[in-house]
Amino acid sequence: MLRFILKRLLHGLAVLWVVATLTFVLMHVTPGGPFDRERRLPPEVLANIAAKYHLDEPLIKQYGRYLRELVQGDLGPSYKYVDRNVADIVRDTLPVSTALGLMSLAFALLISFPAALFAAYYHNSWVDRGSMFLATLGISVPHFILGALLIWIFSVQLGWFQAGRWGQVTSVVLPTITLGAAPAAYLSHLLRSTLLETLGEDFIRTARAKGLRETVVILKHALRNSLIPTLTVLGPLVAALITGSFVIEYVFAVPGMGRFFITAVTDRDYPMIMGVTLIYTALLVSANFLVDLFYSVLDPRIKAY
Amino acid sequence: MVGLTEFDKNLRPAPVIAKSWDILDGGKRILFHLREDVTWTDGKKVTAKDFEYSWKRLLNPKTASEYAYILFDIVNAEDYNQGKITDAALVGVRAQDDFALEVHLKHPAAYFVALTTFEVTYPQRQDIIEKFGTRWTAPGHIVSNGPFILSSWKHENEIQLKANPNFFLSKPAIDRVEMFMVDEKTTALAMYEQGQLDFIDNDSIPIFEKPRMAKLPGFKAVPQLRGYYYGFVTDRKPFHDVRVRKAFSMAIDRSVFPKILHGAERPTSSWIPPGMLAHNPKIGLTYNPPEARRLLREAGYPEGKGFPQVTLAYNTLEDHKTVAEAVQGMWKRNLGVLVRLDNQEWKVYLKKLKTDPPHVYRSGWGADYPDPDNFMKLFSSLSGNNDTRWKNPQYDRLLDLASKEFDERKRKQLYDEAQRILCEIDVPIMPLFTTTEYTVLNPRFTGLEVNSMARLILRDVKPKGN
Repeated sequence: MLRFILKRLLHGLAVLWVVATLTFVLMHVTPGGPFDRERRLPPEVLANIAAKYHLDEPLIKQYGRYLRELVQGDLGPSYKYVDRNVADIVRDTLPVSTALGLMSLAFALLISFPAALFAAYYHNSWVDRGSMFLATLGISVPHFILGALLIWIFSVQLGWFQAGRWGQVTSVVLPTITLGAAPAAYLSHLLRSTLLETLGEDFIRTARAKGLRETVVILKHALRNSLIPTLTVLGPLVAALITGSFVIEYVFAVPGMGRFFITAVTDRDYPMIMGVTLIYTALLVSANFLVDLFYSVLDPRIKAY
Repeated sequence: MVGLTEFDKNLRPAPVIAKSWDILDGGKRILFHLREDVTWTDGKKVTAKDFEYSWKRLLNPKTASEYAYILFDIVNAEDYNQGKITDAALVGVRAQDDFALEVHLKHPAAYFVALTTFEVTYPQRQDIIEKFGTRWTAPGHIVSNGPFILSSWKHENEIQLKANPNFFLSKPAIDRVEMFMVDEKTTALAMYEQGQLDFIDNDSIPIFEKPRMAKLPGFKAVPQLRGYYYGFVTDRKPFHDVRVRKAFSMAIDRSVFPKILHGAERPTSSWIPPGMLAHNPKIGLTYNPPEARRLLREAGYPEGKGFPQVTLAYNTLEDHKTVAEAVQGMWKRNLGVLVRLDNQEWKVYLKKLKTDPPHVYRSGWGADYPDPDNFMKLFSSLSGNNDTRWKNPQYDRLLDLASKEFDERKRKQLYDEAQRILCEIDVPIMPLFTTTEYTVLNPRFTGLEVNSMARLILRDVKPKGN
């Protein structure tokens, strides 16, 4: 077990290094720099800024400096937000994104599991068709449309929930539903199709023939044996949900980290680009590691280590 | 915060902390006399030393301020910023005593007092900055001198201000201001309509909602000192020929822009915007398709025949696309020339303007300070913002003379002459329109001002009837 963890840890570090290197190279070859403005800065002013952020050094030296500081836990200063470090920004925003992401995940699981179970159990009935219609809708409607629609209905027309002002109970509901809708729909689809396959297996017929109660057959035998594909997608899904969504944060004025995946690139805020990319990668690697551990819990035939 | 001066209704610098100033030595020395009753929020007096420190900090190369160049007219300021001299005492700004600030300029600069309306020239406290380092702007650390005090700042979320009871021009009528950072316009508008907000501006009103907002009580349209123009890259054929540039400018009916955009853009054929000294609406090439066709014919392209493929570029944004398509249509209709449209992401676009410029490009300019110098210098030979690659020594000379001229009437004449070169004779650019800021204030309140540089002035906000 310890060997497995160490091996995965080394593997994770290697992935982080590759991602850091690729991101570093790609962002520097992308045209446009962090201090290009409509209002061009005089060369002497630009030279001072370049010296302050070591942008006047050869690229390889900048790369070395970045890795050295990264190892010491220093993600560098933001070029866009003067006097703020990337670590400060992440410390402020990641917990917000994580809270919203976990609530959305809970929403998605609460919706998708019952929907998939009923749809699979009542295969080809109106329950199945109705829930799968909603699932298809959930997958195909873009976030910003759903968000705007929910704001219009529940905020403007009914006045039940707030459209912005993150941090209050009434401002959390709409972004949670909007962010959780697509995963709920996707998980329902996935789980339903796996359940349908499992329900046709011999061991389910055997369980029923043995006279087991239907709830035991469905929940213990069918569901448990259908969870592997769902668990596989849950890893990346959790990483994506807890690092935030640009669209959701934009539409609902949520002060999370998701916005920086886009704005850091448009601003060419190099340390911020590196910071959010590496955090996302680290979370993805960790989530996949946990998923691998859970495989063996669900199915003892799979040995993670 | 407040500084030495602020704009008055006519956009002239009016006294705030500076109660008066003397222009001495033919304009090369300015002596600001400061009020003695202005205090910081911790009770200490605002002194000339705070200005001297702030200006030298702005110029210090280690600060790496983007706006250091604003003070380059001061003796030795540029050399200090470039590191050619390291002794800040040699920079020509000095507190004569606690309430007299002396500024030595390299040359007379008629616009210099107007620069002191700009926030980067506001005073700063050396002791606070040295104590807190990069955290000096955090609530609880920062000391300020304006009508409100920063009481809470949740980054990317909200800012809270509370009234400063010791503000030297009397305590504001409202105790607290909350500001929310909302990127999405429809969300901000929903918050206003739900009663969560009392004030919204351009950033909170979607284009399609403008007509409805305009009918609300508390709606205001504030013309801005911001110009929108197309530049011709004058060393690229066929725009090296001034007749072609003139023809393209005269083929544009600028009156369409308010109709296809937000409704209150002000079409213009001259460059200095309305509201600014030396604005002259009579300057510039107006819509004249027959004359435009004649000029194009004279340049060797009758009815657009034989005209090479040219590109009009803009940075990716819906409004820019709308304008570009309208212009493309007018050039096709009036000149028989079909230009290719090209759009790019902002930073890529900026890079391309320098390295591989299109034939015609979109750009804009908003005033840092309300003086024509700030607008006209954009197209001087040495300007880093002059992407037209056009140079005219006569134009440069006129700007130089105007910047040193303290007689407003004579300044205006010099700028008129320079604007004629820019917009009628050489035509490296064609100004299209100036922009407008929309605001809606809850009718329960009054006194909130947004000035012509989109700055929010909260000092006089009060409940209606008070």
